[in-house]
Amino acid sequence: MVNIKQLFLFSISIAFFASCSDDGTIVDPVDPIDPVVELVNPVSYDFTRNGASTISFSGQTERIGMATEMVNALSNFQSTEEQLLEMYANQTASGGDANPYTDSDLNASSKSVKSKVAASKDFFSSNTVESAEIKAALETLIIAQVSEVFPNQNELAAEGAAGQIADGSSVRYVSAGGLEYNQAVSKSLIGALMVDQMLNNYLSPSVLDEGTNVEDNNNGVVAEGQVYTNMEHKWDEAFGYIFGAPGADYADPLNTLGGDSFLNKYLSRVEGDDDFAGIASEIFEALKLGRAAIVALDYDLRDEQADIITDRVSEVVGVRAVYYLQQGKNALARNDFGAAFHDLSEGYGFVFSLRFLRDSNTDQALFSKSEVDGFINQLTQGSGFWGIDAATLDQLSNDIAAKFDFSVEQAGS
Amino acid sequence: MKKLYFLLGFIFFAVACGDDNTGTGNMPETTESFDRGEMLVFWADDIILPAYSNYIADLDVLQESTDAFYANPSLSTLNGFRDAYILAYQSWQQVSIFEIGKAEEIGLRNFTNIYPANEELIISNLESQNFNLILPSNFAAQGFPALDYLLYGIEDNEDAIIQVLSSANGMNYTEALVNRLRNLAGEVLDDWNQGYRDEFVSNDGSSATASTDKLVNDFLFYYERFLRAAKVGIPAGVFSGNIEPDRVEGLYSGNYSKQLFQAGFSAAQDFFNGISFNSGRQGTSLKQYLEFIHISNDTEVDLGVRINDQWQSAESALSGINANFRDQVNIDNSEMLRLYDELQKAVVLLKVDMLQSLNIQVDFVDADGD
Repeated sequence: MVNIKQLFLFSISIAFFASCSDDGTIVDPVDPIDPVVELVNPVSYDFTRNGASTISFSGQTERIGMATEMVNALSNFQSTEEQLLEMYANQTASGGDANPYTDSDLNASSKSVKSKVAASKDFFSSNTVESAEIKAALETLIIAQVSEVFPNQNELAAEGAAGQIADGSSVRYVSAGGLEYNQAVSKSLIGALMVDQMLNNYLSPSVLDEGTNVEDNNNGVVAEGQVYTNMEHKWDEAFGYIFGAPGADYADPLNTLGGDSFLNKYLSRVEGDDDFAGIASEIFEALKLGRAAIVALDYDLRDEQADIITDRVSEVVGVRAVYYLQQGKNALARNDFGAAFHDLSEGYGFVFSLRFLRDSNTDQALFSKSEVDGFINQLTQGSGFWGIDAATLDQLSNDIAAKFDFSVEQAGS
Repeated sequence: MKKLYFLLGFIFFAVACGDDNTGTGNMPETTESFDRGEMLVFWADDIILPAYSNYIADLDVLQESTDAFYANPSLSTLNGFRDAYILAYQSWQQVSIFEIGKAEEIGLRNFTNIYPANEELIISNLESQNFNLILPSNFAAQGFPALDYLLYGIEDNEDAIIQVLSSANGMNYTEALVNRLRNLAGEVLDDWNQGYRDEFVSNDGSSATASTDKLVNDFLFYYERFLRAAKVGIPAGVFSGNIEPDRVEGLYSGNYSKQLFQAGFSAAQDFFNGISFNSGRQGTSLKQYLEFIHISNDTEVDLGVRINDQWQSAESALSGINANFRDQVNIDNSEMLRLYDELQKAVVLLKVDMLQSLNIQVDFVDADGD
């Protein structure tokens, strides 16, 4: 996904370097408001205004917390459909206030997972049909966990029969087609919630520059009752979905990589693959520099960083989709169905998540709805994972990898 | 005699290879000339089958002593039961490596030795009498770890243990566990005797599905996961960063964890060195295979010797360790960590150097843990 646009930006940055002052700071020669706002790129994600931190992403931390509780509850056989759906929507079926979480702060919150699923401005604000379909698709998986898997807790799984299956000494609970619904939900949220909100909402100029955001940011006008400008806040909200899990080291998040069960965790996994090492730092640095660029009123530099983040975050999801399809294929070759189904269930979620990836060249979806629907159909048709063959998994892997700069081999191991 | 034959084979090979094989070695050609079939025959007939027979004989004794206990529950019959249990547990260590064929298919190790035991589940199964031991969710409620709990840990004195065990529910559950161990082992040995032995021996090529490649992988998997990690590394906190003394093997009986480890470690070394289970004679082995490559390729070191040297270091690290690994971890974990380090050094020699020499691919992956 290296392209003309990036090349262009690169040449601009060369021009910048040419205009660097002697003390090494970069000045923006074209800014109309303040021609000498200094760009300060801190070592940590640490930005202040008059001595007070301007960073805020508590809503993202809350949603990650809600998603974590919901995903954990999906593997608890005592959970009811009602409880799980309340954890998804943070309200009752009739729209009343619900308190489904063990963490009382989450119960007190007005936010929810569901309201932000497939809800980005760029992809879904005028595509509410698909948005509703995706929200409902996750709901269907949640309900199926309760109605299909829970009643068969003490049955052995078989082709066409839900139940338990051994994966090493672990137990996996699968549908009649071998799908672990809890894995499917958990990994689908990475795309439908985290990536969609990040790439197609908060990092998009359509959100960053909305209303009077640019003018306010240029003039240091903060949001009502806040320390930050709206634009700063939007950018931080993108940051929160990847580095803002409860308990993370927000200032230096590479120290706590792998601290949630969602995007951050799988960034850590891709970082751990030698073929992609450095990706975590690349994303963090781009988030930090982009945020510094907002403070320095340098919106070209900001958008350049947003493109880097878009490419790399999309890559994380693409790599993990291929990785799990390939691992599933290898496990099937060993007749290790339990391990294979576990991998393919995670793969299902990452394939589902492909729909939310963004092409930084075109600012369009990297995968169309019909492509992703086709992939999911290939994974689940007939007897599902019981009957899937190596050729199908290879073909899916190739189709996915073709959209990126990595090979199936690089992603698959 | 064996060695002479082997040496002659090598001379013949060297002559036949002529100039092509001088210099820095032509590994694939060389390795394929080692008689893997002969090694497979030795493994099957001199190690695996006798080890299973021995294990099953000890399980028969376990069944008898279980019956004796239930005929007359007393301290003396409980002690007989416990002794037979430890003996069978120790014999299990000698077959655990061989998770291939029927054992692999049924997941023998999962049903025999997953620890720590799940106390809560054992009690709930025992009390409700509503249990299905074929389910993966019952792995940690059966096998030797569950018996260890029932025989030593379910109550804090012998009289109370006898009382629980000899209740109707206790008897039903305990007998079910003992019988299941015996039946599963029997199923595996029967399969070896009814055709699998010949299939195993004749699959003597070198590919991912060939017997040598598969069993060498099973051996490494056992060594790395079940010997090095489960018995030593996990209790010593190597992976979690915190000691986990309650995760030792034989937690409740207490004083046998070192003995069980030693049995497994010796079995691993004997397999590698080709020591016949019953006679102790030396046969065609991985060690000989590596020696063969060392000589024919004129390499600097004989890897088999290095591996044995490394295991000697592990043995000496083991010698100072308490019979009860739990106590050792609690009192001085550094000794356990030292043992782990010595075992780990051999993993590198086996998994990297040996597999490269033998041209065998690793067929298992580190699970990514989620």
